[in-house]
Amino acid sequence: MPSTSIALFAFLAPLVSAAVIALLLRRRGGIASYVSSAAAALVAAGALALAFGGERFAFSQEWLRLGDFSLSIGIKYDDLAALMLAIVGVVGFCVHLFSLGYMADDAAKARYFGGLSVFMFSMIGIVFADNLFMMFIFWELVGFSSYLLINHYHEKQSAADASKKAFIVNRVGDFGFLLGIIACYYALGTVSLDGIAEKIGAGSVVTAAIPLLLFCGAMGKSAQMPLHVWLPDAMEGPTPVSALIHAATMVAAGIYMLCRIQVLMVPEALTVIMWVGTVTALYAALCAIVQSDIKKVLAYSTLSQLGYMVAAFGLGSMAVEHAGEGMMHAMVLPVGVGAAMFHLTTHAFFKALMFLGSGSVIHGCHHEQNIFRMGGLNRKMPLTFSTFTIGVAAIIGFPYLAGFFSKDAILFLAMKNNTAVFALLALTAVLTSFYMVRLWRIVFFGTPRSQEAEHAHEGGLSMTLPLVILAILSIVGGYTAIYGNAFAEVWALIPVAHGSDHTIILAVSVAVMVLGAGSALLLYKRLGGDALEAKAPAVFDGLGLLKESFDGLYNYYVAKVQQRFAMLLNFVEQIFLAGVIVRGFAGVVGLVGIGARALHVGSLHAYVYWFLLGAVLLWAFAAGGF
Amino acid sequence: MNYELLQAAAASNTWGAILPELLLGCLALGLLVLEIVLPKKRHDLIPALAIAGQVAILVGLFINFRTGYLGETTFNGLLKHTESGQFLRAFFLLSSILVSVLGVVALAKQKMPRIEFFHIVMVVSAAMMLLAQANHFVLLFVALETITVGFYILVSYTRSNPLSLEAGLKYLIMGALSSGLLLFGIVLLYGVAGNPALPAHTAESMNFDALRLFLAANPDNVLASIGIVLVLSGVAFKVGAVPFQIWIPDVYQGAPTPVTAFLAVASKAAGFAILLILVRTFAPYASLTTPVLTIMAAATILFGNLAALTQHNVKRLLGLSGVAHAGYLLLGVVAVSATNSALAVGAIQFYLFAYLLASFAVFGVMTHVAGMDDADQDLDHYADLGKTHPFLATVLAIGLGSLAGIPPLAGFMGKLLIFIAAFKAGLYGLLGVAIFGVVISIYYYFGWIKAAFFSTWKAEGAPDTRPARTEVSITARLTLASLALASIILGFYQGPFGDWLMLR
Repeated sequence: MPSTSIALFAFLAPLVSAAVIALLLRRRGGIASYVSSAAAALVAAGALALAFGGERFAFSQEWLRLGDFSLSIGIKYDDLAALMLAIVGVVGFCVHLFSLGYMADDAAKARYFGGLSVFMFSMIGIVFADNLFMMFIFWELVGFSSYLLINHYHEKQSAADASKKAFIVNRVGDFGFLLGIIACYYALGTVSLDGIAEKIGAGSVVTAAIPLLLFCGAMGKSAQMPLHVWLPDAMEGPTPVSALIHAATMVAAGIYMLCRIQVLMVPEALTVIMWVGTVTALYAALCAIVQSDIKKVLAYSTLSQLGYMVAAFGLGSMAVEHAGEGMMHAMVLPVGVGAAMFHLTTHAFFKALMFLGSGSVIHGCHHEQNIFRMGGLNRKMPLTFSTFTIGVAAIIGFPYLAGFFSKDAILFLAMKNNTAVFALLALTAVLTSFYMVRLWRIVFFGTPRSQEAEHAHEGGLSMTLPLVILAILSIVGGYTAIYGNAFAEVWALIPVAHGSDHTIILAVSVAVMVLGAGSALLLYKRLGGDALEAKAPAVFDGLGLLKESFDGLYNYYVAKVQQRFAMLLNFVEQIFLAGVIVRGFAGVVGLVGIGARALHVGSLHAYVYWFLLGAVLLWAFAAGGF
Repeated sequence: MNYELLQAAAASNTWGAILPELLLGCLALGLLVLEIVLPKKRHDLIPALAIAGQVAILVGLFINFRTGYLGETTFNGLLKHTESGQFLRAFFLLSSILVSVLGVVALAKQKMPRIEFFHIVMVVSAAMMLLAQANHFVLLFVALETITVGFYILVSYTRSNPLSLEAGLKYLIMGALSSGLLLFGIVLLYGVAGNPALPAHTAESMNFDALRLFLAANPDNVLASIGIVLVLSGVAFKVGAVPFQIWIPDVYQGAPTPVTAFLAVASKAAGFAILLILVRTFAPYASLTTPVLTIMAAATILFGNLAALTQHNVKRLLGLSGVAHAGYLLLGVVAVSATNSALAVGAIQFYLFAYLLASFAVFGVMTHVAGMDDADQDLDHYADLGKTHPFLATVLAIGLGSLAGIPPLAGFMGKLLIFIAAFKAGLYGLLGVAIFGVVISIYYYFGWIKAAFFSTWKAEGAPDTRPARTEVSITARLTLASLALASIILGFYQGPFGDWLMLR
């Protein structure tokens, strides 16, 4: 089968699955779950076959033409898309598989799996998109499917609020994205990715506004400050959804989009992006320390890691160095893309692993999410424990696991380019290993601290198999050699430290890990409550306040400013639009209608007069009477 | 008349040219024979046979669509066979079939003789098919009277119902009056065209081609002008154009629902078929017909929509909205009259077809929702239809949406094509009126949809006034589903059908 048909096949399989579920299987959750999982398996198989098949291609089809403005739908399948598609396919399949077990008793399975299929379709659309407009369409579609899935337990008020919040916050970012697309079209006359690259290559210059507006989209989707507030709340959705959408793929779409439009980046924009990423990374790491909900910890950790990737992207495009054969070439390479995508890849594996692991814990503990009511799970759930341990080790940068390589690449880049950022990212790394080890220790060690934890048990094969797959990927995913030649273009951009730099980075990385992990192990000896809260309440409260501050600010804005403005508009609308124009107009028409109705008196005599009147008028007209 | 002349006249009686009409007539007669021959309990076979027979004739018509008679006149100039005629033949046959299907559903509720109903419907349809090919005032009048007389019977068919009888009587008197006007107009034209004192006078002044030549030679004849407007007013009665629309609500309400559908679709289409022929015949007098039709169209659109706005009886509502549809179609006729554009003719025919699909879908639902008393069909009776009968409610929504001209349904394309034709003909004022009318119409169509889909508040223990709804049989289900589907598909994709209509 030619590659293009495989691509189309993988693209449309989830759409077909979603349509079949929506139209035929709404009340047959069991069948629906298998249909959706089969589609996900097809996507995974297609993605891997395409990636390792070696062929790269692009085609596009005109979709709409208005005058000389045309929009097209097309597929741009290069190494970057291949990598992203492979991640989406593999993680998507693991999550589908896991969901089969996790959602087995859910009453609305069909809605859930239909939503997953819609998501897969939209996500693949983003990956394939060969122009910004098409990307925007699917960008909105993933937002919609994310809304559906966060809202899965819609009878819960908090879930309904969370989905609304996610949707609205994303709209804010998407508005900027849309403006950016329009500005891009205005400035360059094209929104096609290849077209943009061509124009820039030919010497067109763009202002910093365009990449920054486009970055707004990434800020919403990848939950960067100050639009990060939706992601922690989005944990109201089912845990596999959190793993797929809010950790591995959709939130990474912002990074992917940035990498797609790398040519547009000007230094000023990159600086802004770098600082947004760095601040987000640090802020989220601080918030993660005081969380007591297992999923919230992971959510803030995701935020922090996304900040890492964004910072890497912002940093790297300035790097000027390349080692050639025997001599040094001076060469500008957008190594930020390589570092960001590399970390995106490894993060997708270990974060999905940990989310699914937390799902397994939650499932085992009968939907208990408070880590202080767990404990002792290392003996109750050995497989979950060992795989989760691998995940934790990977994220804190334990040497020679996946996260170690990608984090080192970013730290190296930061060290070379901006010392302040380097320091902040290193601090973030300390905090990361601190809160991850804290979580790991509290959940899995000690004695069970509740009924639920007492009776915890391992899930079935469909829940453990994805854990094993992802754990293996978290171990080996950092060795680019295992991917063969498939993503060579991307991997070539990974910054690699040599010589003394290598030693410094290795030392720093191991030091921050040991520092964070060690202090966590020391601090959390007594596991009944939060040791930090007991020993340093001021720090604990301060961090809690930090977390609340954004929500508070936004709530204040909505309640005091936006709501009042809306009420004013409503008043004007009620009086002027609804009152005078709509009702006034309708009233006049209605009166005429009643008049016309009254003409039908039902008496034959009257009707005959109508006829005669008509005949006379026409006669007079024909005879020239008018 | 001597023998040779008679022989020559008989020689042009190519009966093969009107084979579908003949077959339909024979089938109609055959039904009556069957009623006598078959035992009483087997009578339920007859309607099925009637429908099957008509479908067979329709299929035959399609197979023989490009008949060798196209473009020729037969029966001594009485008939002229055109592609438009072929289309309208199929159109009338199709509506006859649909009326028969509705008839089966509706008559089951009444204690009535059944077979005559199908018989009359088929005779009327055959007359309509002939009418669509008329090229001569004599044939036009005879065919028109056959139709009208058939309808007198059909309208008062449920003779146990006083409203039906009243409607029949009103239709009879109004129809007689309009036939009088029409006949008077024909006589004036015949007389003036046969006047030897005038140039280009003709002995064949009933023949449309000859009449057109005469009119072209006498551009400002008062008698001819009066004849023309009187003929137009006779036809305006058939299509229900203002000021000859006044009979419509009462008659539509009283007539049995299938007959109302027949009146609304086929009778109106027949009126437009003649109108299109006549407008071309009267083309030399376009400076007279165009303003008359323009004023009629504007008044019809406004009156129909405004009067429909306050109706609660759905049959009256459909009747008055049908008046508005006649107005939109008149807009197309004005475009034909003003510019003689083929596009406008195609647009009118497309509109008629879309109107047929949508109307029969709606009337089909109405026959199922109606109770024993056919005249009493209120908007309130549709409450909860969406919950209890989702199929009927969906068909209703699609039909009404198409009537309202909501994209992407067929009715929208019909309106769009007519509006494009009117725009090309430069009828901007009339176009404005039409768009205003469409806006109003959405209100009452959607009010109906709302009644069917959204539950209204009802006091606890208030009596349920809704009549029992009829179960939907397989045939009716298939028919309604295909009507609704066709309305959707034709909105998206006009395909060869649209090309054929537009590019002839």
